[in-house]
Amino acid sequence: MKRIYHFARCLGIPALLCLLWVWCADFPGFSIQAASLPKVTLNAESISPRPIEQRTGEAVTRDYAHAWQDLADALDTNRIELLNDCFTGEARERLRDRISDQQKTGLRTRYEDHGHQVKAVFYSLDGGEMQLVDEAQIELTVFDGQKTVYRTQSTYKYLVLMTPGADQWYVRSLESVAGDKP
Amino acid sequence: MIVALKMIVTIRILVVLLAFPALGQSIAIRPPHTVIAGISFSVTTEGSGSATFYLLGPSHVVKKTIQLGQDLPISGSDVATSGLYQLVACDSSGCSSADLYVLPSSPERLSFLVHPSRVPVSTANAINATAVVSDRFRNTVVAPVTVMFHFSSADARPYSRSGPTSRGIAWLKIGSTTKQGPLQIVAAVGETSEARVIQQVASEACGLRMQATSEARSVRLRTDPVRDCSGNALPDGTIVSFTKVDDAGRSTVDTPLKKGVANAQFTLSGRARISVACGVVLGNEVSIAGQP
Repeated sequence: MKRIYHFARCLGIPALLCLLWVWCADFPGFSIQAASLPKVTLNAESISPRPIEQRTGEAVTRDYAHAWQDLADALDTNRIELLNDCFTGEARERLRDRISDQQKTGLRTRYEDHGHQVKAVFYSLDGGEMQLVDEAQIELTVFDGQKTVYRTQSTYKYLVLMTPGADQWYVRSLESVAGDKP
Repeated sequence: MIVALKMIVTIRILVVLLAFPALGQSIAIRPPHTVIAGISFSVTTEGSGSATFYLLGPSHVVKKTIQLGQDLPISGSDVATSGLYQLVACDSSGCSSADLYVLPSSPERLSFLVHPSRVPVSTANAINATAVVSDRFRNTVVAPVTVMFHFSSADARPYSRSGPTSRGIAWLKIGSTTKQGPLQIVAAVGETSEARVIQQVASEACGLRMQATSEARSVRLRTDPVRDCSGNALPDGTIVSFTKVDDAGRSTVDTPLKKGVANAQFTLSGRARISVACGVVLGNEVSIAGQP
């Protein structure tokens, strides 16, 4: 104990805190929760075939959180254009179709997002695709006009494929999968 | 006394049933737990009278009026997207709901990516191939399947590798062959296949040599045909650098390969040492005694 105290006094508490921060930063886990964004925690410990870089992990976490915010806003307001910033390919097409049908039938869907535990499972060697498995805590309410026709709160599992764009990651595929791990 | 008590209880039950008609004939909706994407099926409904039915899927919403107590047919086109669906029936007494998982159909599509498009010959683990397996509705086939990768090029025997998918993705990395030219890679699942072609190009120069022919005040230099260690000719346009050091100092001429060889000429000032290089590869060095 005496030695530790002496070491801390020599090195300085701020330096020790810096060391602790660097040590913690080495773990492949990323988390984001801005005031208006859903909480997304990304665990990349079992990713293959290539590891995830720190900045890439942060970018994926941030962009995936933004995607869920846009998804919730788009389905609640039936505004297809809200999907353009974070979604591409099949994911955007499917959500567009859903919103288009909601517009025709007078429905809207509200997502109360209570957070995402995301596991990164695949990152291609060329860095062109990343696959995630997301366990999302969501409170889902469907309205027909002013009437609530469906409400549930549950854990949903999603298989997600993300691809990099010029300056961000896009959700290319977002598929709900059955309760047992895909 | 007991008879009077029974009558009171019976009347109360009747009052409750009259006040809440749905309690006697509550609605219910019973779909199968899972169905296959694109396959039609029926949902059992309980209750009586008409109700509004909602099918809430990942990419599709259906809203229609149904008669309770009858089987409700659902078209395969309404469940083409795999994932979780909510089925809801509402009448004046309230709503009843049930969940339904639509599973992907059999593998019928491949998204196939190969990287890079050009690769030097004889390079280990230089080619990455990734295949994403989906059904005919573009749902990712999550159940494991085996993807075959077939490789063929003009001068080498074709060969194959296989890999199982994990959550719909199969990948592998392989080295390039020793001969330059196109390499075709075909990914196949069942009857479905996707082909990609990448170009294998010559690697770094190997055994780079030049010949010098001295004249009165100059020297002409010419390389042997420039090839890599597998004997592939480096493409015309590849830059070869000749460097001369003599009494006048140091000078370098960069010249492209033409018809497989590079030529250069230097004016000499005293004794000169001339070397040749191509990329990171150094060739031989010649020493020539020029006139001062």
